[in-house]
Amino acid sequence: MNPITPIIKGLGITFKHMFLKPVTLQYPTERPRVAARYRGLHGLKVSHDKAKCVACYLCPTVCPAKCITVEAAEDANHDKYATKYEIDMLRCIFCGYCVEACPVDALKMTGEFELANYSRKDFIYSKERLLEK
Amino acid sequence: MVNLTIDDKQVTAPKDSTIYDAAKLNGIKIPILCHDKKLKPFGACRMCLVEIEQMKGRQIPACTTPATEGMIIRTNTPDIIKARKLVLELLLLNHPLDCPVCDKGGDCDLQNLTYDYELNSNRFIDSKFQHEIDYNNPLIERDMNRCVLCGKCVRICDEIVSYGALTFIDRGIETKIGCDFEKPLDCEFCGSCVSVCPVGALLARPFKHKARFWALTKHNSVCGYCGTGCNLTLGVKDDKVLTTVYDENQGFHKGQLCVRGRFGYQFINSEKRLTTPLIRKNGRLTEATWDEALEIVAGRLKGGTAVAALATPRLTNEELSLFKKMMLENVGSKNYDHSAGYAHRALTEGFASSFGSSASSASIPDIQKSDLLLVIKTDSYETHPVIGFEINMGVKNKGIKLNILSDKRGKLSKLPGANTLVHIPGTEVAVINALCKSVIDQKLADPSVASLPGHAELIKALSDFTPETIAAVSGLTVEKINKLAADYAAAEKAMILFPTGLGYAGHAADLARAVANLAILTGKLGKEGCGVLCLSEKNNSQGAVDMGFYPQDGGDNALQILDACSAGTIKTLLIAGENPVTSYPDNAKVKAALDAVEFLIVSDLFMTETAELADVVLPACSFAEKEGTYTSTDRRVQHVKPAINKIGQSRSDFEIISSLIVKLGGTPPTTPAAQFSEITANTPGYEGMTYATLGNEGAFAPVSIQPVFVVPVAAQVPAAQGKLALVTGSVLYHNGTLSQHGEGPVHVCPEAYVEISRSDAGRSSIIDNDLVTVTSENGSLQLKAKLSIRIPEGVVFIPYHFPAAPVNMVWSGSAVTMVSLSK
Repeated sequence: MNPITPIIKGLGITFKHMFLKPVTLQYPTERPRVAARYRGLHGLKVSHDKAKCVACYLCPTVCPAKCITVEAAEDANHDKYATKYEIDMLRCIFCGYCVEACPVDALKMTGEFELANYSRKDFIYSKERLLEK
Repeated sequence: MVNLTIDDKQVTAPKDSTIYDAAKLNGIKIPILCHDKKLKPFGACRMCLVEIEQMKGRQIPACTTPATEGMIIRTNTPDIIKARKLVLELLLLNHPLDCPVCDKGGDCDLQNLTYDYELNSNRFIDSKFQHEIDYNNPLIERDMNRCVLCGKCVRICDEIVSYGALTFIDRGIETKIGCDFEKPLDCEFCGSCVSVCPVGALLARPFKHKARFWALTKHNSVCGYCGTGCNLTLGVKDDKVLTTVYDENQGFHKGQLCVRGRFGYQFINSEKRLTTPLIRKNGRLTEATWDEALEIVAGRLKGGTAVAALATPRLTNEELSLFKKMMLENVGSKNYDHSAGYAHRALTEGFASSFGSSASSASIPDIQKSDLLLVIKTDSYETHPVIGFEINMGVKNKGIKLNILSDKRGKLSKLPGANTLVHIPGTEVAVINALCKSVIDQKLADPSVASLPGHAELIKALSDFTPETIAAVSGLTVEKINKLAADYAAAEKAMILFPTGLGYAGHAADLARAVANLAILTGKLGKEGCGVLCLSEKNNSQGAVDMGFYPQDGGDNALQILDACSAGTIKTLLIAGENPVTSYPDNAKVKAALDAVEFLIVSDLFMTETAELADVVLPACSFAEKEGTYTSTDRRVQHVKPAINKIGQSRSDFEIISSLIVKLGGTPPTTPAAQFSEITANTPGYEGMTYATLGNEGAFAPVSIQPVFVVPVAAQVPAAQGKLALVTGSVLYHNGTLSQHGEGPVHVCPEAYVEISRSDAGRSSIIDNDLVTVTSENGSLQLKAKLSIRIPEGVVFIPYHFPAAPVNMVWSGSAVTMVSLSK
């Protein structure tokens, strides 16, 4: 075979791509479109100005990575609520079992995927950070 | 035995069993909500419906129907399953579906049955109950909305606890469980109702929302309070004891516990626990390392006979025997003791001389096998509530005749048919001698005992104790004494129980000898359901005696040790777990002794009033953190294993003593197991025991008895002279001073009080909760007054557990102290 032919062919493909839509996303100036079912950072749902979570401990029970820590207490109305709700994002495998297990639909997984941080302790998301804004 | 067929399986069952029992015995599961094996059949829930072929397919409850010969039973036909589903649907119609926030979730019979029967929806519609929830009680939360009306709480409170706090109120759909007149719950707070509740209607408030049931790891243990030796299951999460878990198969008591056992566990993980060794520097206790502390302690222990030790009988057998070994071999001192030197005398001197063995001749299971019980002091219920439950069940279910000889009335006197003889405080030994005399005079004594040693001396000594003279002294009548003596002698099986402890100075050697004489005279010994049971106060009081941790061969006893501290002959005192400042008699004397002693070392869980005076404080650990054995009051040896890691830097007394032995140049055993094998080799009755053979059940150390008559000395009762007789003792909610650190007991009984009869109170116009000054020769003490109908005129009662108002300010260790009251 003519040794020039494969080079021409290769350059042809390169040349073609100059007219196609680029695959690379120019992150962070360009943002990806996150699917509705994407399993990103968890969010604690809020209803009537307080977290819906009743601290039933089903999410830490079902969690295969053991990354959820819940501590419950009794509020002034004798209702159960979570004094502490922490997710260790370094351990989380984003399986979504916690959302599935929640009996009161208090937990969701958001499209938030930018979870990088500078220190390990910043990966432990407290209840305040997880509450939906 | 009866033969019957259940689900095509040929089975046999005992004659008195129900269909449910027969099925369970043969591994066939019948669902149940309202049945508990400890309670009488009730048949409230209708979950256990079965079909019996002979009854033409009628559905009948298995838990109330006796199994009869040839029955052909089916437990799971489609019709039965349909009926059970209907029962569940109707229960779930009103039961709130708040499983996520209900602490019973995961351990709930209704939840489990709903899951088993795959009930996903309900055909019916109705509104949920709107009963008010009782959040105010510190220990038991009652949410009647969740109640399924199984009646277990009502029945256990009546049949076993015999308190009757709960009952069914109203009729039909409005039925609920409540207290009389719908008042708040005010009972013994033993929590038996909580333990048997199949749903979340009754919950333990101290455990509320602490953890879910499935997250707890369960550790079998032995209760660390009284000498009953109840088995416990500790619920542990994240290295913390969060609750006690009910297990109906545990121990002789089938999981029944008292308020201390069930709600008094918080001391284990208390924030007030000592976590580092402390050394007194410039007059202040400052944190130090273990090496530093042990070095100083070991240096001070090289003082030979100028060293003494006091230990609490809450230490394990291994610790006590190693402690004794250290004192004898490494320190070279015979001065060691426990329990103020008198609370163990009933065993170490009384039974030791009368029976030739320093242990009780009867066991707790004997109670229900007996025909007649003679209980000395109604306090037996307060000191050992679970033994009290055994008495309740015996009296109510088996018709045991209950006779009580006491200086005040109490809960036991309320039992059906209870015959309470209320005597003048301090005369119990004289009364028992009079009972012996009456037995002899009525010719009811066992003729074979005349040949026993000491018989003649006893007969001679008893001539001073005719029922007539004693009736006058004790405030009883001759007829009552003669009748009790006759009843006791006539009963085929009769048993005597009496409590001992720091609060019962009068219950020492002579009382033990007196009751032993009565039992020997009438031949009520060495048979099932007979004998004498000394209820020792702490969880290992009997063990401490078996290990010989009391002065022998000329060693000083606890009170002599304190005197020697004051005199300066004892220079170093090592106290392990005892709190003499609060619990020993005569506060001023104890404090002076501890101040005078050159060097005081205290190892304890908490900064007690005694530890505050120490030069070195060593943090010890609780029963939940160490391995060893405890011996219950009836010589059941039980093995405890650590349920959690040691708190902070605390160490078990076994480790502390081992390190001290090393520093003193000895070689200690490597593990508690090694020490236990030494114990079994040297302790009569313990032969052949190992941790493996003890298992979860424990094993009885047999007691061999050589009965001898010994003449007991009846103490002189001080003349009243217009004063009141102070008796001390335990309250139901506390045991020693340890329960002061358990939240549950403190919620119910937070402070000391003085219990006065209504007539005495009326005379000084004292009303409930008045601050009253109690004055004796020793000192005075301000306490809240509690008026009570159980106290006879001329008597006041003060419990001893409370450091804030210690009764030893006015009490110097006599059985009866004369006091006056003023407002």
